[in-house]
Amino acid sequence: MAEAVTKRPFFLRRHLNKLRWVSLTTVFLMLIALPYIHVYQTFVAAHAYDFLAPSEQQLYDVVEFATAPLGDDPAEDLDAIKGTTWSGTFFGLKLSDPLAPLGQISASKGVYLPLLISALLPIGLTLVFGRFFCGWICPATFLYELNTNFAAFLNRIGLPMHRRRFDRRLKYLVLAIGVVLAAMTGSALMAAIYPPAIIGREIYYAIALGGFGAGAVFFVFTLLFDLLVARRGFCRYVCPGGALYSLLGRYRLVRIQRVVEDCNDCAKCNAICEFGLDPQRDDFGQECNNCTACIAVCPTDALTFRVRPSDQPDQGPGHLGRQYRKCAETGEAA
Amino acid sequence: MHWRTLLQHIGTICVLGGALAWAPAWAHHVLGRPAYALNEDSNTPPALQLEVQIGDYFVTSMVFPAFPKSGKPARVNLYARHLDSGNPYTGEVRFLVRDDKWFADEPELLGVQPPNDYVFRQGMVFSADGNYIISAEFEADGEPYVIDFPLRIGNPAPIGPLGLALGTIIFVLVSVSVIQRRRLPGARIRHEHRDARS
Repeated sequence: MAEAVTKRPFFLRRHLNKLRWVSLTTVFLMLIALPYIHVYQTFVAAHAYDFLAPSEQQLYDVVEFATAPLGDDPAEDLDAIKGTTWSGTFFGLKLSDPLAPLGQISASKGVYLPLLISALLPIGLTLVFGRFFCGWICPATFLYELNTNFAAFLNRIGLPMHRRRFDRRLKYLVLAIGVVLAAMTGSALMAAIYPPAIIGREIYYAIALGGFGAGAVFFVFTLLFDLLVARRGFCRYVCPGGALYSLLGRYRLVRIQRVVEDCNDCAKCNAICEFGLDPQRDDFGQECNNCTACIAVCPTDALTFRVRPSDQPDQGPGHLGRQYRKCAETGEAA
Repeated sequence: MHWRTLLQHIGTICVLGGALAWAPAWAHHVLGRPAYALNEDSNTPPALQLEVQIGDYFVTSMVFPAFPKSGKPARVNLYARHLDSGNPYTGEVRFLVRDDKWFADEPELLGVQPPNDYVFRQGMVFSADGNYIISAEFEADGEPYVIDFPLRIGNPAPIGPLGLALGTIIFVLVSVSVIQRRRLPGARIRHEHRDARS
């Protein structure tokens, strides 16, 4: 049997999933708030209050009231957070999704250094925490997980949903094709099918420009694909950003591991895992986004974070499980 | 002396008071633009300005006033210039209107306009707020030309059909997740275990 992990899990682990939902909700609400603030700033800069339509004046008044405590000069003071999760500014720090410089490099066949530098922090964090962006920040994850809950509800009332499984490596093919097509066309095409970029863009269109674009329709199709065909199918099998994060996070330092002595083989972790991984057999791989749903659902606290660059090899049946006890009684190897 | 000073002060107050009393009306006419003057003939920015190259012509079109409203006159001005010769188009232009929606009724003829100083001016009054498509049609050198442009009358709709659909989806997803939050994890685990067994 493989070497057992004996350290006790740290005490906050069960609440991390709630914290993650707070993070996802905050990011999603920020993506809604920022375009409103931007429109308000534009109105202020243009001194255009008297020329606004009544609904626009209402927007002006509400945002003015809501942002009054944040500063006296809206045009300057409300610029601390701008942009979307694709690319933006966070208190002076410029950040970009790693897919953005990859798309730019492949499309232009040259390196635009400022864009690459803005992606260094996300890349560094991915090297440490793996595909954490997908689990903790991505605005599409917020809707996809709600969609998974909806599918579970439909399953509960007797409507079977999303049972198909595909090869996980499909998304790497999508990423490779995206890079090649970008190089051929000179356009960063991956942003057109990348859900977090789509959501940021479409929310901005809807609020600042008065309507949704084709990206919103595409995103609805991804929701339907997840609902009707495969659970989290787009993230698991298609998303080019997810593929890039998985590659970057292959040797991540912080990863979830099973404490085999505490495991009772209930397989709740496997059932709750959005990405269809196998925590019960120590198989997290590069797909795990450290969402901590498995930690939250484990009844015996047998899952926790560890710092090591690779997964524990399969540790065999959990020591609290029936199979391990039976083996122990009969003297067979588990 | 005392009375003269007092009279001087009263006079000064009267002059200043009078000037201040007139000041708003003065500003009203000189600095501001009274709201009642925002009609289709006022010197306001257009509600829409379209510049498009189509066939052999470069067409400029504008709609006045800045914020067209239902029940109030509005006007579209169109000017077409030949790309090569630079000569303005001098034939007639037909203006049509239809609702800007997926299953719109047949277009309605607004009028056929001859040029007036090389500009085709079509007046119109919309009975209801909404989104419309104005079509300008003319024929030059045996070729038909059709230019469509959108026009919003009244305040913008707070939410469109796609926005309504997406809003409904998000509302349903959030509602189910919140209402069923205690039952769903168990349901998901049972469902997955059943799938694993089968």
